[in-house]
Amino acid sequence: MDLTRLKSEIKTLIVDELNLQGKDPASIDDEAPLFGEAAGSLGLDSLDALQLAIGIEERFGIRIPEGDEARPIFRSVSALAAHIEGARPMNGGG
Amino acid sequence: MAGPAPRLWITGAGLVTAVGATRDATFRALLRCERGIRPLTLFDTTGQRSTLAAEVTGVELPTHGREAWSRTTAMALSAAREAIAEARIDVRARRVGLVIGSTTGGMFETEALLAELHADPDAKDALLAMLSHPLTSTGDRLTETIGPFSRVRTLCSACSSGANALVVAAGWLLAGEVDAVVAGGADGLCRLTFTGFNALGAIDTEACRPFDRRRRGLSLGEGAGFVVMERAGAARARGARPIAELASWALGAEAHHITNPEPRGDLVASLLSRAIARAKVGIDYVNAHGTATPLNDPLEASALRRALGPAIDAIPVSSSKGQIGHTLGAAGAIEAVITATAIERGAIPPTAGLEEPDAACALLHVPGVGRDARVRAAVSSSFGFGGMDTVLVLAQPEHAPEREDRARRTVVITGAAVTREGDAIDARLDVGRARRLDRAAKMATVTVDAALAGVDAAARAATGTILGGAFGSVDASAAFLHRVFEKGARMASPAEFPNLVPSSPVGHTSIYLGLRGPVFATADLATSGESAFAQAVDVVASGDADRVVAGAFEERSAIVERILAALFARSPAKAGARRTEGAGACVLEAEDAARARGARVLARVVEVVEWRDGGAPLRELAPPHDAARARVILVRENGGVDELLDASPWRSCARETLAEGEHEALGALALAIAAERLGRREFDEALVVGLARGRGYAIALAAA
Repeated sequence: MDLTRLKSEIKTLIVDELNLQGKDPASIDDEAPLFGEAAGSLGLDSLDALQLAIGIEERFGIRIPEGDEARPIFRSVSALAAHIEGARPMNGGG
Repeated sequence: MAGPAPRLWITGAGLVTAVGATRDATFRALLRCERGIRPLTLFDTTGQRSTLAAEVTGVELPTHGREAWSRTTAMALSAAREAIAEARIDVRARRVGLVIGSTTGGMFETEALLAELHADPDAKDALLAMLSHPLTSTGDRLTETIGPFSRVRTLCSACSSGANALVVAAGWLLAGEVDAVVAGGADGLCRLTFTGFNALGAIDTEACRPFDRRRRGLSLGEGAGFVVMERAGAARARGARPIAELASWALGAEAHHITNPEPRGDLVASLLSRAIARAKVGIDYVNAHGTATPLNDPLEASALRRALGPAIDAIPVSSSKGQIGHTLGAAGAIEAVITATAIERGAIPPTAGLEEPDAACALLHVPGVGRDARVRAAVSSSFGFGGMDTVLVLAQPEHAPEREDRARRTVVITGAAVTREGDAIDARLDVGRARRLDRAAKMATVTVDAALAGVDAAARAATGTILGGAFGSVDASAAFLHRVFEKGARMASPAEFPNLVPSSPVGHTSIYLGLRGPVFATADLATSGESAFAQAVDVVASGDADRVVAGAFEERSAIVERILAALFARSPAKAGARRTEGAGACVLEAEDAARARGARVLARVVEVVEWRDGGAPLRELAPPHDAARARVILVRENGGVDELLDASPWRSCARETLAEGEHEALGALALAIAAERLGRREFDEALVVGLARGRGYAIALAAA
């Protein structure tokens, strides 16, 4: 799957899985921080991280590690896409 | 009315935990540092992060009576019987109340039924058996077995439920509404909580280590703890021996987050300060909440330091959860009994699992085994999901100075609102902030918000809320478990789980609206709204809060409707009015506080009478001043209600029945509508009467 489509799928998954009603997935910046209170951040919290990890595993068949290892993966949509792309089996479907 | 407040003696106590089947066995095992956290045998733990729990073995389910028993109820019965036997009270000879805190009730047994219904949604026997295990079933089975009790309350504030059961008992005793109370908490392990806490990553894969730098989370447990509490004068007169005294308490809500504690522990610190100041005692021991989660332990240590100052360095602090696990709705009561026993026996139990204290949890810990120590007064803390926190101070009998009796305050209604099926709900909420609220929480929030119209943010922060709900989130619990059945435990939804706790809607309401007073849920089948109202009146009248919003909500539930259809297929006469949904809420406020903020008063609460099977004290009601201007409002058509009213001083008043369809929160709508109509002077006095399966409430209101 090309990276643009993967990112767009991740954005839709974030909005659906975390019930971000009224949020247009396309309006999420690829590089914007997902967590924390910084300006431009999506403002997600630890409970969201757990739910998102389950959603990604269900959708893409890829496990997100727990704890501190998850931090860089959850940095942004781009980081998540890179992790999923890197962890995918060869010729894996999308 | 000056004079000392009656002292509240604990004259009997009972425990069931993973380390002992009685109070004595548990306490001795605690002192020896025995640990009950072992591989779980109650159900399959395949796919779970952790497979350990502090399980109670050898729970026998009584087989007598019409209804099925749950493990929760069996443990509650054992602990309550032990407490009653030690206190040597005859519950039938005196006015004795029963208060139970719990979060899961018969969920373990319900799960087997949900698995059947997962395969066949219309399996009749499974549907009918679902009615055996609502949260109120524990109180009902105990009433049948060891009652009758003059009044019964079932409450849930997640992990502070058991502590709040003791607070409710104290309020009833101080108000003179009962002579003694059997109060406590009970919670059995079940797949739902075990899978849910695992999904939240909140469970340590090894036995938990409170305050240790290597702690990785809690260990779940199960059990029951009950006390008999009575006024010292009456207890002394009958020759009872006190174990300890409940010297004071403080409760409030963080209004912060549905699962995470407020990181600075501000509310915890202020509750500790308030409770200790009110007791006017030095503290010799703290039985901490001490869950061993990364977040809880440092905030609790810091809150203790802020509340007690440098004195904390000389006060032993321990958590019992390394031995008996976190027993959720039972924890506050079990740990209060442990604390009372520490006072009685002059011995402090240790913190099992603590080997390398975390520098962020600097306290005078009790590693290893228990130690002898003079404990004149001690703190027991309990903090619940949704930030519902309670601190109890227990003391040696007669040790704390006498407290001035707080005069019973007049309670008025300063706001009321109802939500009916089809009313706009989502449009009245900020979608971003409300994204974690399920339908029940949304209905509760918009209704409480509407009742509080005109109450500013500062006054809201000092407001509590008590909301009734009969069945909890049946459909969502089923969906959560169906996902686990189909996809395995590790795919359980962490975001869904917090919404399955019975106190979740009231917790969300508190968080969304910034309500930081006493917050908890009550359950009482189809009189859940009346039970919340009665309890809120007590909280305001006793001075635990100036303002509490009392209400109830009931959302449409496909499963509840299938259960009722199966039930009515057998007895069509009971089908009654059209099934709908809704919520109602009244703002109950101390008259002085209402006057101080210039609030418009809709009505005054004249009298609240509640009863159980056998008693129906309507003939003792105060008569209306002018029967021609008074109205009786029946929440629903009930067989026998006319006979009750015909024997009461309200016999000649006009009667009407609420026409709002049928659901379990109707009582809250009836009370809100009565308050509004009194505000418009459609009549001058109202008596709202609600009945359901062996329980009843009559609430008299008068125009201001």
